[in-house]
Amino acid sequence: MNQKIGISIELGDAMKQGLADVVRGSQKKHRWLSYADVRVNLEEAQAASAQNGMLKESGRDYGLGISVRVLAGEAMQASGYYGISLGPTDVRQFFPVVENAVRISYERALANASHKAEYKEQWGDLGKSLWSTRLASVPVREDTIPAEYRMYPMDVSLDVIKETAKSVSHDLLGVSDKMKFAFSFLATWVERELFVSSEGALIDQTFCYTQGLVYAVARHNGVSQSHYDYLGHQRGWEIIEDGIHEEYMSFPNYRVFAENLALDACELTLCPPCPWTDAPVTVVTDPHYNTLKVHEIVGHPTELDRILKMEAAYAGRSWLANNLTDTFVGKRVGSELVNAYSDPSLPGFGHYVYDNEGTPAKKVWHIRNGILEGFMNSRQTSAILGDEPNGHWKANGDQVVPLVRMSNTVFAKGDRDPKDIIGEVKRGYYLSAHRTPSIAESRENFRITARKVWEIRDGKLETLYRDGGIMADSKDYFMNVDAVGNDFLLFPIPNCGKGQPMQVKRLGNGGPTMRSRAKLTGPREVK
Amino acid sequence: MQTIKYLKQSVEEGIKYVQSFPDVQEAEVAAFSNTQSVVRVNYTSHIPCNGVEEPKSKEDYGISVRVALKTSDGIKIGFGSEANNCSLDGVRIALEKARDGAVSDLEFVSLPDPSAVNHERTLFNYHDQAVMDLSDKEFVRAGWRILNGAIEKFQCSQVLKEFVVRKNLSAVSDLGLIVGGDLTIIAERAAICSTHMPEAMVDESTIITATLTAMVEKCVSKGTGYGMYSRLFDLDDWVGREAVQNAIDGCGIMTDEGLQEPVGIPSGAYDIVFGSEPVSDMLNNLVLPGLTASAFYEGESPFMGMMGRLIASPEINLYDDAVNPKYVAAKGMTCEGIPTKRTDLIQNGVLSDLLSNWYETNRLLRDGNAKEKLGMHPFRLFAEGKLQPASGFRFGTGGGRRYDSTPGIAGTTTILTGTDPKPVEELIGMVKDGLYVGRIWYCYPMNGLAAGDFTTTVIADSYVIKKGKITAPLKANAIRINDNILRVFRDIKGVSDRNRGSILWAADEVPYAPDVLVRNVPVEEIGAGGAMTAGG
Repeated sequence: MNQKIGISIELGDAMKQGLADVVRGSQKKHRWLSYADVRVNLEEAQAASAQNGMLKESGRDYGLGISVRVLAGEAMQASGYYGISLGPTDVRQFFPVVENAVRISYERALANASHKAEYKEQWGDLGKSLWSTRLASVPVREDTIPAEYRMYPMDVSLDVIKETAKSVSHDLLGVSDKMKFAFSFLATWVERELFVSSEGALIDQTFCYTQGLVYAVARHNGVSQSHYDYLGHQRGWEIIEDGIHEEYMSFPNYRVFAENLALDACELTLCPPCPWTDAPVTVVTDPHYNTLKVHEIVGHPTELDRILKMEAAYAGRSWLANNLTDTFVGKRVGSELVNAYSDPSLPGFGHYVYDNEGTPAKKVWHIRNGILEGFMNSRQTSAILGDEPNGHWKANGDQVVPLVRMSNTVFAKGDRDPKDIIGEVKRGYYLSAHRTPSIAESRENFRITARKVWEIRDGKLETLYRDGGIMADSKDYFMNVDAVGNDFLLFPIPNCGKGQPMQVKRLGNGGPTMRSRAKLTGPREVK
Repeated sequence: MQTIKYLKQSVEEGIKYVQSFPDVQEAEVAAFSNTQSVVRVNYTSHIPCNGVEEPKSKEDYGISVRVALKTSDGIKIGFGSEANNCSLDGVRIALEKARDGAVSDLEFVSLPDPSAVNHERTLFNYHDQAVMDLSDKEFVRAGWRILNGAIEKFQCSQVLKEFVVRKNLSAVSDLGLIVGGDLTIIAERAAICSTHMPEAMVDESTIITATLTAMVEKCVSKGTGYGMYSRLFDLDDWVGREAVQNAIDGCGIMTDEGLQEPVGIPSGAYDIVFGSEPVSDMLNNLVLPGLTASAFYEGESPFMGMMGRLIASPEINLYDDAVNPKYVAAKGMTCEGIPTKRTDLIQNGVLSDLLSNWYETNRLLRDGNAKEKLGMHPFRLFAEGKLQPASGFRFGTGGGRRYDSTPGIAGTTTILTGTDPKPVEELIGMVKDGLYVGRIWYCYPMNGLAAGDFTTTVIADSYVIKKGKITAPLKANAIRINDNILRVFRDIKGVSDRNRGSILWAADEVPYAPDVLVRNVPVEEIGAGGAMTAGG
């Protein structure tokens, strides 16, 4: 392949067919290889950051990396993986690099399989569960999926990005003398993912992403309030300038979005601390708050690798299953009003057509009318459980091994007017916008703080509190849901961590306004 | 991996090239090469599994340029990097990127100058060459060996055989045994050259860690094992055996009345002896992020205005020790070419220093509000040898030095010690009605870092204490702690004389901590409604 300078995503055009030839030919080269796939990630990006009206960093860059998986073995099958970051100088030798990566993965898989077979014998009763790795079958596709955008990320002048970051962080300091620190970070980029398998899959997907982060610290009379939030979508630069006005996503432009956050931080410095309650009280939570709630207590617990205990050492297990024969599947985990699903066809950070093993992505219901239904999975986890692959095996970029991850995991829309949901409450609390989560290991209990907490008295929002949140056992919380709004919204989650080494990944979450019961939490006064 | 000779030559030639441009006022050229090999373990006795789930690795190398440019708009600062090309052509491309992105940052003072710090480099040639030469077969075998240690421990446990009978099961595998975790082996090479250091500084480091979690699910018991090794030769199967032994210990305790199985406790305030992992977790998530120069500049530290004042019990001493090669996180130089050192952060409960890099130290020294933010004049601190830029690292998630990012601030080996340490048994003996907590989960600041409020749940290695004695294992995932780190640090009533390292998920630092006794910790009972009882 000829390469002028740097790396552009168009390079994928020249790589595709040769890559497919290398991977499809790998079984002939390696006797015990039963399956191989290669992911190639190409990226072009621009970004700028500013603090208090002063630019700190900016730049344009590109990236290229590959990740290989091989299943191989004589008596038993096992996997081997290899990932490497590449640069423009590697492009000329790209196919030999891929061949070498397949060879290394193959040797690891062979060594792994040999040990597995040996220990299966040696461990007796405890060796019975060691299985020969299999992947559930999926349709083998060749497909190309283009990105969606109006203002292509790499067509935006870096000066425009810099000026936006600088002026927004400058203007935030001007919203109030309580504002002490303002940080603005903007990034817009395009990623192209090629996926090729020895089964014949050849998937070519391109994604545009644009993201704006705001961080605001306000202080007044010894009260400090620090808050951050993200605006983001799988679109071009237009979302920064115009905001997002779609059926499921609604954001003002970045400048207004940032100012709103700064104004909240300043207002909260004047508010009393949120009280604690010893017993559950009525709580109404808005779509932004429910975005983090569905992420933590529905999304993560319905990842099949957790159900299979594969994350016991890191991200945790799931409150929805004790083991494969003792689960909540088909049983009630919430009131009739609780509905939740993952849907990669929804827009936003969690949108894609194929996952990172070429499985066509499908909507999967987790909870329908309060009954647990199904899990997000991968081909390997699906083969263990015996369900159908639904396309949720995703990595956060090149080099790393994908994991079962959320796409767009949401609470489904209800039929109530959110004003009525609040209006019916005689005494309770309204929580707006998520802040920080702390979840029990199997997600059976949560404490999540909110940016703003209002007391509700006789159906009206009264006192605004700072540093509040709620705490509840997950099942109790879901069983007490008695109203779900018709105001469904999707939000970007840019920083979901999972895996070892940890992969921080973008995805989507959301939901409507909901009402339930939980204990209210506040700050701990230190004397 | 690229050789250190190649990286050194690249940055030395690179700096000459960059400096040849008349508009370049200052420049730094850095080259890094990393390999991270991970064997991820996943064994489940009751669910089909692979044992070793993922033998995998990732590799990267590249060169970066930081530059201060003379322009018609004044000095501009730029950063650029190029992957997999440390030749002059790679330097040229990185410089072009740095020019394209250069910004006017009025808080920029200069690029790092090692001659301006008051300490010399003391750590050289401390890496293990065997790690650099690690073969694929060796590293896959090492993962299986650790798992085999764990399985053998399960197999020979008489306690588990008794549970099989007690619970009417047919085999030990029916107890729901789990072993998960990883063996991580990292090799890093670094070379840096700049206007201020015309001769390249180089560093090679190797890191071997293993973290295993074992469970006996039918007994609601979980145990942890940690291993940190400076030499590949020392790597054995101990970490697997330790995790399993801790899980077995959590299944039950033999008392005069017979076997005491794990119990829950009601909500209330308890005296708690926190083990090394929870103390390390609190350090990593709540304390160390607030002990950085940037947190003070931004006004986000829980310890604002407290330099030179008591912020913790006088029992507490905390320091970051980058230069002791017996610890796996040792580093000879920062990712700015500055020699590393020991930084004493808290001495006898008094806040005495902060972690910093070159940019943040210089920014604080010129910040008109620094005295108010710190509680002392920054020049005075600097004159005392504090606020030294000895913690400027470009760590990637899970290890490695990133060629494609500018330096942040990170700890290395962070060690908490007691002024008057006691045997842990003595601390437990001081508790009338309380807990020993050995592992916590999701320990996060809930209302911003500065507020100090935190919450966490208790997931493993924990016990109930009555009248100064451990009487029962505490059920995993049965309590949540809601407290404030400022309160916890001030109310420490005792520190043990044993000090263990913990590997924390996605953490930069490797903390070493003793057990500490804290009075009146608010505890909330959770999951009492049977959320995990599907009943199928």
